[in-house]
Amino acid sequence: MSGMSSDIAIHAEDLTKFYGSRRGVEGLTLDVKAGEVLGFLGPNGAGKTTTIRLLLDFLRPTRGDATILGLDPRRDKAALHRQIGYLPGELAFPGREKAADLLRFFAAARGGVAWSQVTALADRLELDLTRPIRTMSKGNKQKVGLVQAFMHQPALLILDEPTSGLDPLMQQEFLAMVADARADGQTVFMSSHVLAEVQQAADRVAIIRDGRLAALERVESLGRRAIRTVEIHFDDPVDAAEFTGLPGVSDVMVSGPILRCTVDGRLSPLIKAVARHEVIDLLSAEPDLEETFLSYYYTQPDQHTQIEGAR
Amino acid sequence: MVPALVVKTWRDDRRAIIGWSVGIAAFTTLYTGFYSQFQGTAELKEDALPPDMLEFLGIADMTSAIGYLQATIYSLIGPLLVIMAAITLTTRTIARPEEDGGMELLLANPLTRRAFATQRLTAAATAITTITAVPWLLVAILAPTVDMNVPQGNIAATNAGLILLVWCFAGIAFLIGAWTGRRTPVLVVTGTLAVATYLANAISGLLDGGDWLKWLSPFHYFIGTDPLRTGWHPAHLAVLAAIAVVTAVAGIRVFDRRDIGV
Ligand SMILES: Nc1ncnc2c1ncn2[C@@H]1O[C@H](COP(=O)(O)OP(=O)(O)OP(=O)(O)O)[C@@H](O)[C@H]1O
Ligand SMILES: [Mg+2]
Repeated sequence: MSGMSSDIAIHAEDLTKFYGSRRGVEGLTLDVKAGEVLGFLGPNGAGKTTTIRLLLDFLRPTRGDATILGLDPRRDKAALHRQIGYLPGELAFPGREKAADLLRFFAAARGGVAWSQVTALADRLELDLTRPIRTMSKGNKQKVGLVQAFMHQPALLILDEPTSGLDPLMQQEFLAMVADARADGQTVFMSSHVLAEVQQAADRVAIIRDGRLAALERVESLGRRAIRTVEIHFDDPVDAAEFTGLPGVSDVMVSGPILRCTVDGRLSPLIKAVARHEVIDLLSAEPDLEETFLSYYYTQPDQHTQIEGAR
Repeated sequence: MVPALVVKTWRDDRRAIIGWSVGIAAFTTLYTGFYSQFQGTAELKEDALPPDMLEFLGIADMTSAIGYLQATIYSLIGPLLVIMAAITLTTRTIARPEEDGGMELLLANPLTRRAFATQRLTAAATAITTITAVPWLLVAILAPTVDMNVPQGNIAATNAGLILLVWCFAGIAFLIGAWTGRRTPVLVVTGTLAVATYLANAISGLLDGGDWLKWLSPFHYFIGTDPLRTGWHPAHLAVLAAIAVVTAVAGIRVFDRRDIGV
């Protein structure tokens, strides 16, 4: 393997896929470092599944290419897929067997996976392997999909909407599995619609919109840039004009002695202005990543005024 | 060791394999066992039908054991049944899982596209061969017990032809499935080809100057040499095998080149 494979798990260069004239994804250039967890976020139809299926060589790029674990997705498919755990976004199971039988097939096809590995994952997700998969609920089917993706402890996990159908408790369990995988040095590339769920597990977040990469940030810096909503209760009624125009402050709304506004970045300009009055109470919501995220989704990052409308 | 994917394919198809085998076994047993009762009435039937009709139906003479076997098992319904079984099973190699989404997890296994297609086809081909060998086994066992005087070698030659005929249509079905990833084109194109080439072979002798038509029909290479009477015809069988191999290889290649599940 080339030297690149040791520190870069996925390298995409101008990766582009058109379905006829319809854009799936265009000009995606992205590196995923070995051992990191990357959240791949975007609204419906953004191109997440298209990107993932390109990485797995189910689709062939219209332009550009990808290198995965230092290997070529097409030429080295066999060697590569042994090191990849894949969870499809639209899960459908081949055959009509019990979960255990299907997982035994995966174990054999991947060159022998210790059965204890499978049962440990099934226990962790509280999954009954003795039931035929077609009789399972959506969430339990999703668990079968997760077990097969994780069971051979692959170097790279590619998960398309892994939490879809899982109840909140199982979502937490899944995130713990991702954290464990990361601790073991596995790389995780997971798509999602919801920032909150990847925020916990991911090192970085890539946001894709209309087939193009809109942002790629560390989760912390996404938080630092986030806007917060602030609500301040004064002793006496205040004038809105005092607060509009302060750096980073917008959406100023005053009703009697209560001020509500949103702050982008540092709080001190607002605090200094506020300190001229008697303050009874100050409420500041945690930096809302979801809000920042939605701003990438639907608007330019600095047009925060539209966010309220989008929510 | 048999690859895991081949075992999985057999397991998923086992109901269909057993069902078709039982059906074809029943059909073969029924007709072969019927021979003794049929002998008397056959002459009547033969007289009742115009000679052209008999030729079209592939019935030379119903009274002899060979004519009877040919007419009942090896001319129309027998080939039709095994070809239907072959198309159904071949559709399941690629087209069906690709349409219902199960392909995604199958293809995520550590195999190249070519190895994947080859293993799926191998599993289907062995199943189809087994199903098509059922009449061979039964005719070989039953013929002597009902006083059919047909050489075992000729039964073998005829049934080998039937197997190769079925491979030929399975190859075509595989190619279309590997190419399109859809069931409907496989069923429509292969079904139409089977019927059309059957008719081409059947009417070639009836049309003035239409004799060449038979060379276009796989059925001619199977039954046109009258193998129950004349035994092995390697060149004819080789044509069927060649069609099967060429379509299979072409199918594996097109599957290696296209987008999956679009
Ligand atoms: N088989 C296809 N044929 C034509 N267009 C397609 C096909 N698959 C996807 N597309 C288009 O490509 C674009 C990206 O789709 P993709 O499935 O990658 O989005 P996604 O981000 O996974 O969306 P979702 O969150 O809904 O799963 C969409 O505009 C979609 O309509
Ligand atoms: Mg998707």
